[in-house]
Amino acid sequence: MYIYLPIAEVSMHIGVIIGLGGGVGFLSGLFGVGGGFLMTPLLIFFGIPPAVAVSTEANQIVASSVSGVLAHMRRGNVDFKMGGILMAGGVIGSSLGVILFKFLQSIGQIDLVIQLSYVVFLGIIGTLMLTESVRTIIRSKKPGGMRRKLHQHNWFHGLPLKMRFRRSKLYISAIPPLLIGAFVGVLAAIMGVGGGFIMVPAMIYLLGMPTAVVVGTSLFQIIFVTANVTLLQSVQTQTVDFVLAGLLLLGAVIGAQFGSRFGARLRGEQLRGLLALMVLAVCIKIMFDLAVVPEDLLSVELLR
Amino acid sequence: MTVIHTRPIDRQMHRAGPALFVILLGLCAAASAIPAQAAPNHVVADLSEDLVEITSGYHGTELLLFGAYRGMPGDDLILEVRGPSTDLLQRRKEQKAGIWVNVETVKWMAVPSFYHLFSTRPLTEIAGSEALGDARIGADTLGLRMAQAAGGNNGHGAGDDSVIGAPVAGTAAQTEGLARNMTRMGLWGTKSNAVATQQDMLYRTALSLPSNVPPGAYVIRVLHFRDGVAINESKTDMNVRKAGLSALIYRFAHDYSLFYGLFAIAFAVASGWLAAVAFRRG
Repeated sequence: MYIYLPIAEVSMHIGVIIGLGGGVGFLSGLFGVGGGFLMTPLLIFFGIPPAVAVSTEANQIVASSVSGVLAHMRRGNVDFKMGGILMAGGVIGSSLGVILFKFLQSIGQIDLVIQLSYVVFLGIIGTLMLTESVRTIIRSKKPGGMRRKLHQHNWFHGLPLKMRFRRSKLYISAIPPLLIGAFVGVLAAIMGVGGGFIMVPAMIYLLGMPTAVVVGTSLFQIIFVTANVTLLQSVQTQTVDFVLAGLLLLGAVIGAQFGSRFGARLRGEQLRGLLALMVLAVCIKIMFDLAVVPEDLLSVELLR
Repeated sequence: MTVIHTRPIDRQMHRAGPALFVILLGLCAAASAIPAQAAPNHVVADLSEDLVEITSGYHGTELLLFGAYRGMPGDDLILEVRGPSTDLLQRRKEQKAGIWVNVETVKWMAVPSFYHLFSTRPLTEIAGSEALGDARIGADTLGLRMAQAAGGNNGHGAGDDSVIGAPVAGTAAQTEGLARNMTRMGLWGTKSNAVATQQDMLYRTALSLPSNVPPGAYVIRVLHFRDGVAINESKTDMNVRKAGLSALIYRFAHDYSLFYGLFAIAFAVASGWLAAVAFRRG
């Protein structure tokens, strides 16, 4: 059964949409990531206009983050104070991102910037994760492996506006989380992702937050960043297709269930290694698309 | 838009007028056996549906385009289906630092968003290019023009309204590229040997509308060719519009975009919460 998506203005088989949601949902449940970095390129691949894919994915991530954060809240794994600072930065950053998105769209370079962002950030994150997980796997085979310090002291510990984050056991300046939030917000708006795959490592390695609270806190702030993107894109470009978002979500909810059950059987570093390989695969695919001679050097876009 | 729409008809009448008159005179003299009340060389056109609604279940549709004409063996028919005109941006890629980048954007004006031709034989066998041009058949006879962007075609400014100077014709590569891209999207096309005729009186063809059919007013022209000249023409209209829930959502998103955005967020929060509750039970 086909459904005509009212905003994307294309018709897609309903099974394909739910299947996409389910597949990406399975992987996001398995690895504990949002899956936006997989879903947005897949939607574009299936013929959804890039602008609609990015905005709609933001809308869907609002839903999946809400359902994800509730479980973390029950376990007390959300640092609301830190989340609030990251969110403030994220709302500013994503607002800038939406403006930048519209500008790039008007000069015909949005597709290129989306693709380059994917290549750069997936490439960096994928490589870091892969080396880290390989190192952990090697180290775990030796008895009595090294122990890391609770957190290192960086240059930014001298910055002003120091605040106490009790849940994260940190006493640091509010400026770094604000900047990190803003930076990830810009990327979230342009790439159609929640940005967890950048936010989580940044929280652990840059801010020195305990791993127990990073995922819940990241999900908490992603809700507001993606809600902001959803609202701004609705007003500015009318590219949010909530019918598409709803159907993707339906699949994702079911897929995530199976994914998280399956993931419980695998070890953390193995999961991270697999996720790193998947991230790098998406990166290489997009890099290949950029480098290979296009089937037609000319393209058209109908204005309405 | 309206200029482009009306001009072809005017010009065609002026040019084809005298020729038609001579042919009609000749035909009247030759076919004196035809009863007087029947208008000679009449052609009529009709559609199985003149209103196509894009509803939530829409995935392309097929219409029957049919009618009657007063023909002779060897006559030909060309059916032109033309959708609403739209402006469009055409971009050209070039390799820069190893990757393919859009380097140039031009803006075409008043391009038919849908343009399909159906004929009894390949167009070149039916008539010469001059006769086809006079009848305004084929995308290359539409006289499509591009806006001249301020400060040259550097890709900046072509998308906005900062247009100065008179519209210009595109280069051959640009014009061919336009047709190629529109054809690939299924919006333009030519089907030869696609019009079936019966006893030189009835004709029909299947008009399939793709799932990405542009909404708007469509005009269908039927041209009757004899010996390489268009001797008669008829027109009929068709409307494609969004309807039902998908139209409602589209208008909601465009007319009340702030409320649409808030609704989309509320919808996402509610369904996310529902999913979490369902998880906990299961």
